[in-house]
Amino acid sequence: MDLSPASRDAMTLPAPMRLLTGSLVIALLLNLLPWSDWALRAHPDFLLLVLLYWVAHEPRTMGQGWGFFLGLIMDVANSVLLGQHALAYVAAVFLVQLLRVRILQLTVFEQALHIAAVLFLSQTIGVLLNLSMGSDFPGWGLLLAPLLGAILWPLVNWLAKLPRFRRRFGQVLR
Amino acid sequence: MSGYQEPFFTRGPSPLARLTFFSLVAIAIMIADHRFQALSWVRLGISVVLNPIEQALGMPATAARRIGNYFTAQTELVTENRALQNRVLELTALGQQARLIQAERLHVDALAVAVDAANRLDSRGIIAEIIRDARNPYARKVILNKGTKDGVTAGVVVIDGDGVVGQVTAVGLLSAEVTLSTEKDQSIPVMVMRDGPGAELGSSSGVGSRVGLRAVAVGNGRDGTIDVPFIPLGADIQNGDALVTSGIDGTYPAGLAVATVIQVEKNPAFPFAKVVAQPATAPNHHRFVKVLLRAPAETAGSASASSASQSAYPQVDVGVGDKKSTSSSTAALKPAASGSSSARRDPRRNN
Repeated sequence: MDLSPASRDAMTLPAPMRLLTGSLVIALLLNLLPWSDWALRAHPDFLLLVLLYWVAHEPRTMGQGWGFFLGLIMDVANSVLLGQHALAYVAAVFLVQLLRVRILQLTVFEQALHIAAVLFLSQTIGVLLNLSMGSDFPGWGLLLAPLLGAILWPLVNWLAKLPRFRRRFGQVLR
Repeated sequence: MSGYQEPFFTRGPSPLARLTFFSLVAIAIMIADHRFQALSWVRLGISVVLNPIEQALGMPATAARRIGNYFTAQTELVTENRALQNRVLELTALGQQARLIQAERLHVDALAVAVDAANRLDSRGIIAEIIRDARNPYARKVILNKGTKDGVTAGVVVIDGDGVVGQVTAVGLLSAEVTLSTEKDQSIPVMVMRDGPGAELGSSSGVGSRVGLRAVAVGNGRDGTIDVPFIPLGADIQNGDALVTSGIDGTYPAGLAVATVIQVEKNPAFPFAKVVAQPATAPNHHRFVKVLLRAPAETAGSASASSASQSAYPQVDVGVGDKKSTSSSTAALKPAASGSSSARRDPRRNN
């Protein structure tokens, strides 16, 4: 039976909640590393990347509510204006929900290009918000972040689909 | 289209409706946070949970740095030690002179005592370590490893060996966020101090330096420079002038080094001169700073009481106290407090 990738996701059992929350927590911790100077501007947003992966592959569990909640956590952790990450994450999640069926038809590397665009748009929202509040543009190093995020997309795919994760969490292999 | 479709009966609102809803909520939160600071308790709550995790995450970096320091070459340490010893000698000399001036001024009259006590650098302070930069690429902030648990409050001043580093703008239980003096729009009231010959204007200064023009040093969001706006074209300011805190705001104690003037551009086309200064401190090069804690009560009276009781000049303070009032220290300092507030309102003081 030849099924489209999007429908194949629907045929598998939903990923267990432990896997979802566990991966999100690890991504959050990566974001909370003491980034500084140029790395602060250029480091990819691991949390958003993992969130988008689950939005694409587990659309019934992961949605904009999660984006909003995780965005608020990032705002507090970075002690920036409350709500700016929330808005950017919700917008990114929306875009992936919109493009989901299309994205999943593509190979992982083609998906990464789409993700780069989504990450870039999401980051642009944050930049515009900060500029509108009178901050200076922090530099073009910011452009690196969505690109690095997109480069990591295949890695996230590979990690999340590692059979041993799925087996350990009681997932039926397809 | 392929055979797959979303479930027949979609539950809940459409993605677009959700996007609208969440965006509106996010914007409402932003306004609440920006305009009214209404959500600081949410911030504090979540930061208390996150703090230990962040500290744990920072550990490998901290450990690596400490190990690096451990293996610092001996020659480097010897050089540094020598430099520090020279510095100590210099500062001791300055301290002696300052003590002399202090004594002179304290004997002048009660008003002098008040001004002095209110502006004197409170010796209460704690040493804190800079653990990391704030993760906000739009701001120039660093995080210290001391918080409300150690008595740090928002608004207190942070200095290092060279001068003012910045001001604490947010405190958690175990950490505090310091906004550097180079942060955009971060302002410090300063006065111009000039060393050298022919600079013996002020009657009270015997250190060979004089205090002049008052100004405000405003950060511009870039490393290495601070702006000094609104200096009239005819003002007496030149390259090499030191900017020290003037103390008129009641936040920064008087006399702390802030910056050195490096560029003065007087163009008659503009009403004000363009003055650029170089900050006295480079927080990237230091790990330890001193947080100048505020006296427990916010009133000027108790502030001067605490600084008087811990001051380095006990004989002078006791002398004045005996002369001016009863043995009760609070009663003794009441006139001092009122004197200081009236003196603070007079902008021409010290000129």
